[in-house]
Amino acid sequence: MIKILTPFEKISKQNRTLILLGWLVLLIIIWFATTSGEKHLFPSPAQVLVGFKDLYKEGLVVHIFNSLSLCFISIFLATVISLLFAYAWPIPVLKSISEFVTKFRFLPFTGLSFYITMVVHEARAMQVWILVIFLTTFLTTSLIAVIKDIPQEEFDHAKMLKCTRWEVLLQVIILGRIDYVIDVIRQNLAITWMMLVTVESIVVASGGLGFLIKNSDKFMNTGRIIALQIIILLIGLGLDAGINFLRKALFRYSKI
Amino acid sequence: MKHEYKETLLYVENLSVAYDDTIIIKDINLVEKDVIRDGVDSTGQVVAFVGRSGRGKSTFFKALTGLIPTNSGKILIRDFANNEPNAAKSVCEGDIGFVDQKYTLFRHKTVTEALKFSLRKTKLSNTEKDEKIKLYLKEWGLENCKDKYPNELSGGQRQRTAIIEQLFSSDQFIVLDEPFSGLDVGNIEEVKKSFELLGKSSDFNTVIFSTHDIELAIELAQTIYVIGHPTVNGKKENYGTIVAKYDLRDMGLAWKDYCDDHLKLSKEIIHQMMIS
Repeated sequence: MIKILTPFEKISKQNRTLILLGWLVLLIIIWFATTSGEKHLFPSPAQVLVGFKDLYKEGLVVHIFNSLSLCFISIFLATVISLLFAYAWPIPVLKSISEFVTKFRFLPFTGLSFYITMVVHEARAMQVWILVIFLTTFLTTSLIAVIKDIPQEEFDHAKMLKCTRWEVLLQVIILGRIDYVIDVIRQNLAITWMMLVTVESIVVASGGLGFLIKNSDKFMNTGRIIALQIIILLIGLGLDAGINFLRKALFRYSKI
Repeated sequence: MKHEYKETLLYVENLSVAYDDTIIIKDINLVEKDVIRDGVDSTGQVVAFVGRSGRGKSTFFKALTGLIPTNSGKILIRDFANNEPNAAKSVCEGDIGFVDQKYTLFRHKTVTEALKFSLRKTKLSNTEKDEKIKLYLKEWGLENCKDKYPNELSGGQRQRTAIIEQLFSSDQFIVLDEPFSGLDVGNIEEVKKSFELLGKSSDFNTVIFSTHDIELAIELAQTIYVIGHPTVNGKKENYGTIVAKYDLRDMGLAWKDYCDDHLKLSKEIIHQMMIS
């Protein structure tokens, strides 16, 4: 008993699972207990269950599909653009451009989306490009950080094997860190997912989970909002685990 | 055992390296020649560099291998592409192989892929390359690891792969920066075996390494250089240079079992290191 309260003590896998289950049960009890009265801010489990049912009837699956396809298209495009910026970073003449792109992550969302709405008129394309622009800044920042973290020994090793500077770029950065690209996507997935729901709630014309939240928000349907939050959280966690699995499955040498 | 000096393999003259205004190493001069022994098929050269930390050993190695530019001096190595006796060329990046303390390898290439990559600039045909790789994997005990990635190899296996890779790519010169640091007894034995294999495979193979283990340096090397801060006109300077050289071949201490004379030499080297 003392062991689980002592810092840095090692506990068995079984005990770890038991602790996790204990916290989950406690959370559910608190949820039931605090929402059993007449007035409560947080919706009760029953209200959330009703929320789930309503959402399902309103085409939840189609909305999830819409959100996921928006997520994948944006990540794909943003990754391709970010990789170009990141791979250009070691080239002196292009370094400033890559670094400049990373600074854009401090720009507010709304201002830029205003300009995008003026240029792009189709709702879906608008959502995609808002997301791509913002994601590119975050992904480029992370990818450049990956390159900066490569030990000098790896570059020296390539040079010692008579690699030209372009071969060093190809072998050490592009091929040598391709598994890190997947990990960078995984690490930025939380922010992608968060931005995606926000973008969908700003540009509501093409549905998605953000659109559903916006609708529920309007009618103060808290049960539905929590049901949606749970769905968004679970999909996010599922994507995170899926991408991590993909990295390990595709790259045997990847041990990040 | 009788030995004879032949062609010059490595010639370093007045080598100096400075970062901004700070001189790291200065006036390094050395000559290493090919040595032939009676009754021995091939004797590679093993040269050790010892010295206290911060005396410029790693900087010297990086300059020697062309990884960092020098401020003055020249480094010449035997030009094996030229059949003229004593033909020499200036060192370029990649001419002298370099194995760092971590035995860095390409993390995305298996042992076979890495060795194939290091042979890409040779004139061998694909079949010849495959045969050469197969032969080395067998000789160096790496047959079972041919399809493994660096993260799946043991320290000793990584080190052997790194050495073969550099041997394939460079011109018979290999520099190892502290190859024994952090290794257990078993791995140290493996590195020793690697040195032996290198020496046996060609007369021209020249292994240059740095170490803090003086006894190991005496056991393996035929020449030991001490790098330290020199005292010039009674004043101790702040740059590294060669302060002492011990040729174990001329001293009659090379290629023989450890004895009292080796112990005396060890004490002498430690003294040199302490005063520089």
